[in-house]
Amino acid sequence: MNSTLHAKLETEIKKLDSISTAPAILMPLLDILRLPSEKIKVEKVVELISYDGSIAAQCLRLANSPLYGRRQTETVRSAVMALGLERIRSMLFGLCVNRVVPKDKWVIEPDAFWRHSLGCALVTQRMAKKIEYPEPEKAYLAGLLHDLGFLVNSVLYTEDFRECLRRAADQQVALHVIEEQVLGFTHCETGQMLCEHWGLSKELVDAARCHHDVSLLPAAGPLACLVHLSDLLCRVRYLGYGYEEVIAVDLGGDVAWQTLVTTYPALENMDLVRFTLDIDGAMEQIVATVDSVFGGKRIAAPATS
Amino acid sequence: MSIGIAKAKSAVTPDTNPGDPAYLKIRDLIYRISGIYHAEEKLYLLISRCARRMVALGVASPPEYLEHLTTWGNRDAELRLLLNEITIGETYMFRHPTQLDALRNVILPQILQVKGLISLKRLRFWCAGCSTGEEPHTLAMFLLEQKDKLLAGWTWDILATDLNDNSLEIARAGIYGEYALRNTSELLRRKYFKDVGDKKLQANDLLKSQIRFDRLNLSDDSKMLFQKGMDIIFCCNVLIYFDLASKRRVVQHFYSNLLPGGHLFLGHAESLFQVDDSFRLIHFPGTTAYCKPTAPPAGGGKK
Repeated sequence: MNSTLHAKLETEIKKLDSISTAPAILMPLLDILRLPSEKIKVEKVVELISYDGSIAAQCLRLANSPLYGRRQTETVRSAVMALGLERIRSMLFGLCVNRVVPKDKWVIEPDAFWRHSLGCALVTQRMAKKIEYPEPEKAYLAGLLHDLGFLVNSVLYTEDFRECLRRAADQQVALHVIEEQVLGFTHCETGQMLCEHWGLSKELVDAARCHHDVSLLPAAGPLACLVHLSDLLCRVRYLGYGYEEVIAVDLGGDVAWQTLVTTYPALENMDLVRFTLDIDGAMEQIVATVDSVFGGKRIAAPATS
Repeated sequence: MSIGIAKAKSAVTPDTNPGDPAYLKIRDLIYRISGIYHAEEKLYLLISRCARRMVALGVASPPEYLEHLTTWGNRDAELRLLLNEITIGETYMFRHPTQLDALRNVILPQILQVKGLISLKRLRFWCAGCSTGEEPHTLAMFLLEQKDKLLAGWTWDILATDLNDNSLEIARAGIYGEYALRNTSELLRRKYFKDVGDKKLQANDLLKSQIRFDRLNLSDDSKMLFQKGMDIIFCCNVLIYFDLASKRRVVQHFYSNLLPGGHLFLGHAESLFQVDDSFRLIHFPGTTAYCKPTAPPAGGGKK
């Protein structure tokens, strides 16, 4: 991307604040999300949720859904307790950022986007734990936020981005390849800018910036590498961008894997078939959670037993 | 098997509480012995299979059943019976459509591109441990359906082998009931089968002519050496019955039997982790396969 385009994008991204209505609780929420879950104060979360009537209602709806035990939950506090902080923070973030994109500007199906983001968050976190990366919470967040650029592209370049998605789905290839052809930049760059605009840490910015570019990964650090691998894993387990992609992935031969293994030798002890089967089960949970939050339609994956 | 007799003596209701740590131990045992892994969310499947064996044995408690699998004199036999239960119902046609998608979308186009450069446009497939023949028949239908598309101008042969004569006899006859055909579309049934009454269909001559059935013991080293030049090998839920050393030997044979760029498909939950590191594990949508690299690995490979 040249510097003129870069400057233009930076100006455009600032416009996001006026075009879209990011909920007031988003910024304080980001502060909370940076903490490991045991340091998050339940009272603070309850307070934030209570600020926003529609988000509070969604929490209650989810807590009362069959997925979480069908109990009669009538207060935000008991909903938070019933769902657990882990789930609440993913859901809250989803709901907040969801509103950054006005209804008519969604290009990717919102629930496909959230399945992929939550899936990636979870896989990144699990992989981080497996390799003994010291901050699995941060890994979760990096996975959750890595595709924020899609939101930027949806809001600022709606029609061009729609064309990208159409072509990518037609050709069954990765979206960033087409973005580069049609827009001249990808969601990695716009994601990076939004993350910077929101004041997120450098590691999170880098994960958004580098997750599709293997040439940047060795220098970008472990989080970006983890997110890159998780993104690939999600895409081969039916948590992609809502269309069928022709894809074959050699994770062990990937630059990200080779980079990680030098610092985190525990990666060598990971049975990838077993890990994949483990995340399959977790992904069913994610699909169920996203469906219950967004009431969305499911993209059926072939049954695997 | 003496299940019938055992059933008669027992009226036990096995304890199927997934919280029982014995089930996790059984899960780990099965993984260690066979390479089949049950994720947390699939533990219920393993438990239901254990429960069937527990009923047969008249055992109600999971820890006691674990003893049958680990310390009792008949543990090897019991393990085999449990593995049978675990893999039961694995065989019907088009059981793993994701493997066929991977073949059609990625693997075959790659192989065709490389092989297309040489004059012999022929592909070799091998179903190792084909049991009653559902897998090779599926493959044959899949390839015939590609005859005028992806595989225009190409020929192929399918070798299907098993150790069990009874299974081979069924496979050769090619007569299947509704269970085996549950995933086979009406169109394919009409094209490749004929009605033989009693709600059964038989593979027609065209379909039969695609497959060569043969008896083969995967542990027979001298015979294994002869299966050269393979492009694709399927070996689903067979290696699980082998001990580690034999498993390694068979997998090494597969490796040398395959051409560079060839692929080995295992059962859905089977892993070669710590069994072999010459193959590359490749993830495709909804499935995995092991690929023999076209060039020797440049160090730091991952199984």
